[in-house]
Amino acid sequence: MLNRRKFIQQSAFTAGALLASNWSMAEDAAVQKLVILHTNDVHSRLEPFPMDGSRNQGLGGVAARAKLIEEIRAAEEQVLLLDAGDIFQGTPFFNLYKGEPEIKAMSMMGYDACTMGNHDFDGGLENFATQLNHANFPVLLCNYDFSNTPMEHKTVPYKIFKKGKLKIGVTGLGIEMKGLVPDNLFGNTIYLDPIQKLNETASILKKEKACDMVICLSHLGYQYKEDANKLSDILLAKESEYVDLIIGGHTHTFLDEPVLVKNRLGNDVVINQVGWAGLQLGRLDFEFSKEKRKKISGAKTISVGKKSL
Amino acid sequence: MTKHILKLFFSTGILFIVSCKPAFKTTSVQYKDYKIDNATVDTSYTSFLRPYADSVNRSMNNVIATLAVDIEKKQPEGTLGNLMADAMKVMAEKYYNTSVDAAFVNYGGIRLPVVKAGAITKGKVFEMMPFDNIIVLQKIPGKVLKEFLDHVASRGGWPVSGITMQIKNNKAENVLINGKPLNLSTTYMIANSDYVANGGDKSDMLRAIPQLNNGSLFRDALIEYFASFTNAGKQITVTIENRVTNAQ
Repeated sequence: MLNRRKFIQQSAFTAGALLASNWSMAEDAAVQKLVILHTNDVHSRLEPFPMDGSRNQGLGGVAARAKLIEEIRAAEEQVLLLDAGDIFQGTPFFNLYKGEPEIKAMSMMGYDACTMGNHDFDGGLENFATQLNHANFPVLLCNYDFSNTPMEHKTVPYKIFKKGKLKIGVTGLGIEMKGLVPDNLFGNTIYLDPIQKLNETASILKKEKACDMVICLSHLGYQYKEDANKLSDILLAKESEYVDLIIGGHTHTFLDEPVLVKNRLGNDVVINQVGWAGLQLGRLDFEFSKEKRKKISGAKTISVGKKSL
Repeated sequence: MTKHILKLFFSTGILFIVSCKPAFKTTSVQYKDYKIDNATVDTSYTSFLRPYADSVNRSMNNVIATLAVDIEKKQPEGTLGNLMADAMKVMAEKYYNTSVDAAFVNYGGIRLPVVKAGAITKGKVFEMMPFDNIIVLQKIPGKVLKEFLDHVASRGGWPVSGITMQIKNNKAENVLINGKPLNLSTTYMIANSDYVANGGDKSDMLRAIPQLNNGSLFRDALIEYFASFTNAGKQITVTIENRVTNAQ
């Protein structure tokens, strides 16, 4: 993995040149563009934080988020809107309505997919299954076996989205429940090894289904400083194959910028996460070009530049 | 606001050996995080929320107590945690009509980073403690309690009432319960949420210990405890008391 300091230092030398090449590529008809919008750990924050003098006052809420999403959709051709779990729990809306307005609002906003967080178990599996009746988007999970639970057949391991000429494969990973989610809430759910399941799924998406990009919605958490061996998005990315982007959640991490990690094949995996409570909407604009654009083997240049909007 | 451009060139070699390959490859990504600041809103969502919000406000806006100072969630010790742990201990004694040696709140179970001075509404308590956790009692052998305190220490310190301790090398040291050193060969009456007592937050050492559980919600206990200040004509004030400190 490239650490952030190095990443930024490099950028100072190369930003200008890369900006120029970026523009020339944008003029190339073979270049495809995809805008990915994402949230995580919204935790039932349907309304903005109240104006009580606290740091987050006036921030968040579905009405402002929806407006922004509408504006971006009006300006961009290909958009995916994704959520990395923990939709539920955190405001009295959830205590009173058990997630109904949360799921309805996400359907109204046109979310394309989400994964499940540990707090989405909080009303019980039967409740999550019931609330999903209000969802017009799939819950993606490749490492929970819900056989013999109320969630059986309510999730799918992946979904492929056609975006212009692009095929985008999206899957999802849930965190280990034992010791985190009360036993009675996850019931017979079986947790399967995330690395193994993700690599299996991503391999299907990239190799069999020929997806141009594979995205993993992960509720594993960004990084655990106190327990370096605990599986996190950073470790997952290193052990992954064929995953291009991890949209993370669980640790409520505000990243200053997406993080790049080299996977097992030496390719770059982008990781991003946008804190919690719907305080932010993440946006990643990916450009794609035809496979024929061949780089000299081993040459991977990564750098960062800035431009004013 | 600035927009950052992150440019990456992915290595391509590996994909040429597979028969069915994608047509395109990612070549660059630009990123931006929008702050959701409510400068503009889609009012159809406000209308959609109104019936839910009206009902939430009707049941949640009543003021329970007044907080004299800002309180915050913090490790190894914070004022919000101290208040919640005190509520757990006092109310456990009341609900179970017995004396309780110590009470704990798992740090991750506190769901607001800060509560500002002023009115505390019922809704604010729901945000502080959204879970339907129940206060349970366990008679815990000193040896197991030490194990649990080491676990609390390794997680950076949790709110506690009735105990003072220091964290050193991820272990609990200089533990005092009711002012006396922890005795490994006696048992202590400890209040916890059922979540923790059932092994939540990796508290596996507590799983096997029998529980007294009369179904009292911790959130209801917080509301009743906070209201007791109001009933006594007082505002709530909380201080740091060096209950849990990091050893130098």
